[in-house]
Amino acid sequence: MLLAQARRLDLAKTKTIFRQEKDGAMDWIPGPRRPSAMRRDQNFALIGAVLSGAVIATGLLLLVFARVNPDAGQRLRSTAIDLVTPFWSVVRAPFDGAGRALAFGSDYFGAVSRSRRLEIDLAAARAELQRAAADRLALAQLRRLAVVRDPARRVVATARIVSATSGSVVRSAMVAAGHGDGVFVGQPVIGADGLIGRTIEAGNHAARVLLLTDPASRVPIIVQRTGQAALAVGTNRPALEIRDRVGADVPLKTGDRLLTSGDGGIFPPGIPVGTIIAGGVEPPQVRLAATPVGAAYVIIEAPYLPLPAVVASTEPTTPIPTEARIVMKKAKPAVPAGPKPPGSIP
Amino acid sequence: MANGVPPWRLMSAAERRRYWLGYWQMTIPALVSLALLLLMTAPLLVPVPVFPQLGLLAIFVWALFQPGLMPAWLAFLIGVVADLLFAQPIGVNATGFALVVAMVRIFESRYGRHAHGFDWLIAGFVVIGFQILTAGLMVLAARPIPLLAQVWQVLTSILAYPLVVWLCAAVQRRSFGAGSR
Repeated sequence: MLLAQARRLDLAKTKTIFRQEKDGAMDWIPGPRRPSAMRRDQNFALIGAVLSGAVIATGLLLLVFARVNPDAGQRLRSTAIDLVTPFWSVVRAPFDGAGRALAFGSDYFGAVSRSRRLEIDLAAARAELQRAAADRLALAQLRRLAVVRDPARRVVATARIVSATSGSVVRSAMVAAGHGDGVFVGQPVIGADGLIGRTIEAGNHAARVLLLTDPASRVPIIVQRTGQAALAVGTNRPALEIRDRVGADVPLKTGDRLLTSGDGGIFPPGIPVGTIIAGGVEPPQVRLAATPVGAAYVIIEAPYLPLPAVVASTEPTTPIPTEARIVMKKAKPAVPAGPKPPGSIP
Repeated sequence: MANGVPPWRLMSAAERRRYWLGYWQMTIPALVSLALLLLMTAPLLVPVPVFPQLGLLAIFVWALFQPGLMPAWLAFLIGVVADLLFAQPIGVNATGFALVVAMVRIFESRYGRHAHGFDWLIAGFVVIGFQILTAGLMVLAARPIPLLAQVWQVLTSILAYPLVVWLCAAVQRRSFGAGSR
């Protein structure tokens, strides 16, 4: 548009120049000049375009950097969640109060029918409990015989889910507990009905939980009925998918329950993850046992079997053939980098 | 803003301070966009992304309303904040928002002034393009996402566009409109 205007203006000027020339008032034709304001505008537009391009290029560079180094900016992220979480804690407080009042009212009115239902359940549960007590005794004896050492599960914090990212491609929620409560990155988050997710960022008073439905979420599970190990993978949809199932020729049935297997060392074994929705469909779809919608409070546990703090030595312990040693020396100098002793030969 | 201002040398210290503080309105588009981003982290726990892209729409609307106050670098910074808030790799929303502003610039120079319905249509295309771009940029950051799950968010974003326009127009009338000073 600017260019068009400039051209029109030039045309007008040229016409006047020609008229002057016809009158014979001027010997020479001055070159068409743009008004300086317009030139300045054009310069600004050019600078703006270059700046925009530079900014977009910076964004792409940052993305490549994030690909190489995904943990970069961890401090910034934890600061961000520390700032956002208190805000939502305060905002949602009155709504929580109203919800509790409503729940109290419905509890009050439904008390009789509920207590009748519970009595029936209780009778069934008592019989189950007696059997379980006997089983527990037997299991304890067997474990003592086999010297099984179980890592203990430890609850780090109980916290409320205060906010979520329902408008983003990353499915995560924020809980109001952070470093101050002993919450760090890589801890399992468990609701009343089952697994919720794991922590991926932690600030001083807030942490971010990667929900099971996120595409980056992978949970090692076993199918309770068949004992098959598999991975439950999030797909950004309500249902999870099961991938990498051991013994894929054994079909899963509708209603098969999935539990965490304890592999990988983050999630403790035996926590409900979900149930199979439709049997015989590949890949099998899973309905979650615990959705964060209902989970007002979640518990955050210490990682079940955390990775050892000391990195395993890469030095080979078995004897190596001489030829291989030469190759290794060529690939990596045996002498560690640093100030060399004065008499050493380079 | 600079009209009717006495020369810098002739201003007293207090006058100079008042002159500079008068520029606080420059931050309004950015603050509105950030507030809408914060709203997007509401504790609405649904398994699919459904919350409308309020931040994106705010950037788009401000780039239309006040192009001078929503340059690409500002959209980029707001995008970095969005990335931090939504746990995305830093750069996904930043690049996307900056691209939206650049696109609006090019678009404005082509079509100039236009009607609300026309802008709405363009906003719809911008939202769809942004979701596809997000999927692409997430692949670039080595965290691929399924694209089909974004359909709900596209729908809610298109429906939310008039709301964002209404909010931004109200703020714009208060801050920059006639009688604001």
